Amino acid sequence: MNFKRDIATRTYSGFAIAALLILTILNILLQIGPPDIQRAGDQLLAMSADDGVANAVTSVVVYFRGFDTLGEIAVLFIAALGIGLMLSAHNRTTHEESNYILKKASRMLFPMIMLFGVYVMIYGHLSPGGGFQGGVIVASGVLLLLISREEFEVPHSVISALETFAGISYVLIGLIGLLVVDKFLGNFLPNNISQMGMLFSGGVIPLIYIVVGIKVGSEMSMIVQNLIQRSDDD
Amino acid sequence: MTGIIILFSFLAVILVAFMSIIQKSLPDAIILFMGVGLGAVVLFFVFQAPDVALTEAVIGSGISTLIFLMALKHLKAEHEL
Repeated sequence: MNFKRDIATRTYSGFAIAALLILTILNILLQIGPPDIQRAGDQLLAMSADDGVANAVTSVVVYFRGFDTLGEIAVLFIAALGIGLMLSAHNRTTHEESNYILKKASRMLFPMIMLFGVYVMIYGHLSPGGGFQGGVIVASGVLLLLISREEFEVPHSVISALETFAGISYVLIGLIGLLVVDKFLGNFLPNNISQMGMLFSGGVIPLIYIVVGIKVGSEMSMIVQNLIQRSDDD
Repeated sequence: MTGIIILFSFLAVILVAFMSIIQKSLPDAIILFMGVGLGAVVLFFVFQAPDVALTEAVIGSGISTLIFLMALKHLKAEHEL
């Protein structure tokens, strides 16, 4: 049999196969009737009322989709790793003098940005936000320090220790959940619905979000530092 | 009141996006692109998605603007535009 056909035949056969696949998928889709639950959001809202977390989005992201969140953090870690590999070989050589106003303002703004980041992280189960947003806010505070002080550098050892700690604790919390309640990232801490809205509520979810915040914050700080150093270099 | 805010934000987002496209200088275009993100933050908040609004404010307006500006600075140093 001759496998080397001319281009026109291959194109037409490709179109034919694509059309066949689309028709098959359409056939399957048409055979499935309308589902009982019209919207997934209603179902998730009904489920999130059980676990005592005031913020339903956090409940979905951390509790029902906790494994996906672990994957997202792995993606961010790989991105930080790639940026570090490509850009971090260049050390900062030139010291541009920062603006005087920026220097003085950063002294006042930096604690507030850090405080807001930690607040968003810790109150992720009560108010909008959470680990990802809080971590990036902390990293933007680090960015302010980097552009306002020439001599400042993020200490590598602290960052790697924080990141390792956060990653290991996320998996450990998941494994403890697997051992105690037979579910990866299961809720093994007491979560009373009567305490919904308190700071200590929602069982294991605040812990996971704090860990996520530490990890995202350290990774984003490293990314920001690599970008700034590289562009100061040239 | 909410309708006025929504209408104003939509118009502002469209206007700022258009101005960002027609800018001649790249830093101005990047700063205007940040304005698109800020308008989107207001819209997300009005449409009751505060989590998305916070993410957009932090990542869409903050970090991505930084990345664009740093890339621009690097390009300028390399090619002397």
